[in-house]
Amino acid sequence: MLDTPAQPSALRAYYEGLSKGVFQGIVCKGCGHHTFPPTGCCEHCGSWDVAPVNLSGEATLLYATHNITPACHPRFEKIAPYVYGHLRLKEGPIVQAIILGVEATPAALRTLFERGPVPAKAETLRTEDLSVIAFRVAN
Amino acid sequence: MRNRLRERVAISGVGCSRFGDLLKTPELAGLSIQELTARAVREALDDAGVTGQDVDAVFAGNAMVHSSQVPGTYSQLSKWTGTQFRAGVHFEAQCSTTNVGASLAAAAIAAGVYDTVLVYGVETTRTKVKGYSPYEREPISHQQTWLWTDMAVNQAYGVPQGYDIFSTYNGLVALGYCRKYGLSIEDFDRSMFELCRTRRLHGSMNPKANIQETLEARASRGGYSDAYDYWRSDEHNPFVAWPSRLLSLVTTADGASAMVLTRAELAKSGKSQPVELKGFGMSYSDLPWYGEDPTYWEFDRRAIDAAFDMAGIKPADIDYLHTHDCSHISGICTAETIGYLEAGKGLQAARDGRLRFDGDRPMSTHGGRHAFGHAWGASAGTDTYEAVLQMRGRAGARQIAKVPEISVIHTHGYAMIGTVIVLGAL
Repeated sequence: MLDTPAQPSALRAYYEGLSKGVFQGIVCKGCGHHTFPPTGCCEHCGSWDVAPVNLSGEATLLYATHNITPACHPRFEKIAPYVYGHLRLKEGPIVQAIILGVEATPAALRTLFERGPVPAKAETLRTEDLSVIAFRVAN
Repeated sequence: MRNRLRERVAISGVGCSRFGDLLKTPELAGLSIQELTARAVREALDDAGVTGQDVDAVFAGNAMVHSSQVPGTYSQLSKWTGTQFRAGVHFEAQCSTTNVGASLAAAAIAAGVYDTVLVYGVETTRTKVKGYSPYEREPISHQQTWLWTDMAVNQAYGVPQGYDIFSTYNGLVALGYCRKYGLSIEDFDRSMFELCRTRRLHGSMNPKANIQETLEARASRGGYSDAYDYWRSDEHNPFVAWPSRLLSLVTTADGASAMVLTRAELAKSGKSQPVELKGFGMSYSDLPWYGEDPTYWEFDRRAIDAAFDMAGIKPADIDYLHTHDCSHISGICTAETIGYLEAGKGLQAARDGRLRFDGDRPMSTHGGRHAFGHAWGASAGTDTYEAVLQMRGRAGARQIAKVPEISVIHTHGYAMIGTVIVLGAL
């Protein structure tokens, strides 16, 4: 623990939120657009007048491929190769994240590609040192 | 933004080392990073007919300091390049470094601050300092290379949550392209094979390239009579991000590049044929690099528009093009965004051989990031080096028959800065 009280941090709050199954972003009080994951500034208009907001976690998976083994980052060595996708959140932001519920094989990915965009739902993926966001596709 | 150069600026000299491995490649083995850099700088200074004491400023580029261990590059390299007591800075724009440097040098010259600027870039993506040795090096593991390289990518949310360059830059873009233009996965695969064949043909004609073996020769060496069978083998060319395969990607390299920029009036009396830097454009973006359509990258659009506006050119004016091709499919998308290739027809152009040095839409005649190889902060300078050779009619066996008058060089600096420079005959 720090002796000095910590300043509020959107970054720390995001990951602490993930560990509780909460998906935090910010919404701009000026233009009304969402920034996800959260910063302290609207990525669309540059305004600093923003407020934290919890997102629904509902998304549409647009495309999905896979990564390599060994993974580029040691954190993901144990689950590589994993499926990695391009998604649109219900609230608007485009995100890329690990996809669950699909095998990282050409056959499974081709089947998914031929289905076209499919619904996906955010969930927390717990690694050894960090909770991260992932999206699960319903079969 | 006025987006104008107040005075004409020229590239009066270019230099480039062999790309490869400081432990293995014949022309490089045993060199220190200081000597590697000096080779490129010396060639550029000699080409311009000047010494390091004739330049007013030095912009020294190096991105992955973890492997090079030469921060403060301007001073650490000054006695190796003869540039003591110049003005200088160490900078990086990752894989756009040297062309961002050229752009900033052009701005400084056109503003009347400097007459002549040396820009160089050095990078070692295959080898790193061994222990605490001043000269011994050792290989870098694949994972270590990307862990260090990805430090240029969103470290708040992207990398910590599973970002992967091969997925983001290749597989997802490929799928976006196939869906947008109704291309089958099989047609995509065949097109990527043909594009790789072209890149490796160019590499085989370039004595400075990392890979100088054609795809056909490599396949034959592996026991394949049909190069496409080699292409489709999981053993030699696995999917790294389906439907993208290993041989559609960058190959890592150690290397250095350099260029001398000066006022156009001074360049006319120089040693070698100068080439005008007519315009540049830059635009950056954090992840994600694209919206719903993975084939369209807004920051590239903005960089292209700015460069073309400054240079006063249109897509139809381009005689030679290089687009950043760490990912072959991404490079095709950029060429289509630029308007050099027709939207949705870029892969067919590759299959028809139109992108070869002897085709009607020549691209990346040095071999691109796959065959020439990629030394992050040094690579953009190699793209410019090749364009200058082509515009002088000195590209040897791979010379474009109709010497280019207008060349456009596009690079992606991780992650990401789209950088476009326009070169014209002076």
